[in-house]
Amino acid sequence: MDAAAELSQESGFVAESGAAKMQERLQKRHQARIEDAERRKEDKERQAVAEEKGEYFSSTFNGERACIEELLSGCSGADRAVVTQILEEATAQTVQLQKFLNDSTLFLTQYELRQAQAALQKLQTSLAETREAALPKKRFAFRARTKAADKVAPPVSDTASPGAGTFEQSAQVDGAAAFEQCGFSNMENELLTKTSDEIQKRDVLLTHLTNCKVRLFGSPSTLHLKHIDSCEILCGPVSSSVFVDHCRNSILALPCQQLRTHNTTNTQVYLHVTSRAIIEDCHGVSFAPFSWSYPNLEDDFSVSGLDRDRNNWSQVDDFNWLAAGTPSPNWTVIPEADRKTNWDS
Amino acid sequence: MGLLTILKKMKQKEREMRLLMLGLDNAGKTTILKKFNGEDISTISPTLGFNIKTLEHKGFKLNIWDVGGQKSLRSYWRNYFESTDGLVWVVDSADRLRLEDCGRELSALLLEERLAGATLLVFANKQDLPGALSKEAIQEALALDEIKTHHWCIIGCSAVTGENLLAGVDWLLDDIAARIFTAD
Ligand SMILES: Nc1nc2c(ncn2[C@@H]2O[C@H](COP(=O)(O)OP(=O)(O)OP(=O)(O)O)[C@@H](O)[C@H]2O)c(=O)[nH]1
Ligand SMILES: [Mg+2]
Repeated sequence: MDAAAELSQESGFVAESGAAKMQERLQKRHQARIEDAERRKEDKERQAVAEEKGEYFSSTFNGERACIEELLSGCSGADRAVVTQILEEATAQTVQLQKFLNDSTLFLTQYELRQAQAALQKLQTSLAETREAALPKKRFAFRARTKAADKVAPPVSDTASPGAGTFEQSAQVDGAAAFEQCGFSNMENELLTKTSDEIQKRDVLLTHLTNCKVRLFGSPSTLHLKHIDSCEILCGPVSSSVFVDHCRNSILALPCQQLRTHNTTNTQVYLHVTSRAIIEDCHGVSFAPFSWSYPNLEDDFSVSGLDRDRNNWSQVDDFNWLAAGTPSPNWTVIPEADRKTNWDS
Repeated sequence: MGLLTILKKMKQKEREMRLLMLGLDNAGKTTILKKFNGEDISTISPTLGFNIKTLEHKGFKLNIWDVGGQKSLRSYWRNYFESTDGLVWVVDSADRLRLEDCGRELSALLLEERLAGATLLVFANKQDLPGALSKEAIQEALALDEIKTHHWCIIGCSAVTGENLLAGVDWLLDDIAARIFTAD
């Protein structure tokens, strides 16, 4: 922590004069821009239309963006102090650009706004990439980041095992009120089922299951899976999100609004998702359309409010694979011939 | 919208506030934002970058920034700190397993110099879930009582039912307005 504080001060120091100059320049440029805009507005007040505002925005925005990109291109081959300074400047300029976009949202079309947001995002990605490439992480430690790095130690609450079985665990933080978590935990080699009455509109949690078959007949509000190994988990329509963390060698089948998959390997997901599925820190995850069925499935779909006709199972966003135009190597579509069709065993 | 209207709106700049919504992924930030603005919440995807929404409320123009909370995005949060008047920290009250993470991320944010002047509203979201912790339990778990550097308030809410969203935002606006627009 001490070292980090010192380092962050150091990088702050290196960039100080540059940042101050930069601020001044930006301030001037901003002022000029605003004055210019005011003049134009006054000139044309009567006949001017929102369209022109849009054009003015685009040209200014793109100009500024080009400046930042050019700045960043100066990083390759430059020495550490210069790179640090450039990065500080580029970051400050990006913030200014964000402000400009923000101030302009009133008269931008949805399309222009999206374009600009995407461009900014891209800029931030290349900023981050340049930073990673040019400066080894440690030297550029910001305080918040260092805090985040401390977190690697396993969360204590998570490893303390309550007794096996359906939870009757009182809340870890709320000792007073006895609380009954709906779900299963710490089981091996079991067939586990829940009926609609037990899970309807509830938040269901499955943790530390190994080699189990789980059948959840009904429509929970949300479902969390954590530390799942070699299981087959089938669930009725989940009205909001399904959160999966540390799952491996398993098969999941479920409909939901969002699927959020983390730290998962070698797992098949038979999915109906009405918005999006995402993966983060995963590999070997494969997807196919949801195909499990049980007698009350249609009723449970109605209860969940999920759109039966909208299934984006094959549009998976990988948060570790955003920049490139090539598909993520971390997930695949299960070939039709290999898909599971018999769920009865 | 005519240019005159635009100009008029720009004149109100001194009545503008910038709010930043942060929290772990899956907390319900985007859902809160859309619900508050009366939009459809069934089609919301996990946020890949950020959303900006500009809306009028109680005579203020609110610029609300909703930034994705996935682990891989958290290092970008700091890009959004500048000139924040209000920080809205959203918590999934039923996610007991990540409450510790949640507290750690929040306390790191409160050390940020660029957020030093911001009022903090904590939304203990998803109160509609039977397993949700009460706002008192969240307050304790996040050690909010130890915060001396920021004005803060915690409000239990549900983005799905809309319960208490207005109450939270109103508190936040009142607190910010009392700090920065007293000259009016
Ligand atoms: N039951 C219930 N579900 C909620 C509530 N608020 C949000 N959700 C659900 O929680 C899931 C996550 O919501 P989002 O708004 O996408 O979460 P977020 O905080 O924006 O997440 P990121 O964009 O990844 O940072 C969605 O499936 C929402 O429908 C709530 O108050 N109650
Ligand atoms: Mg979001």
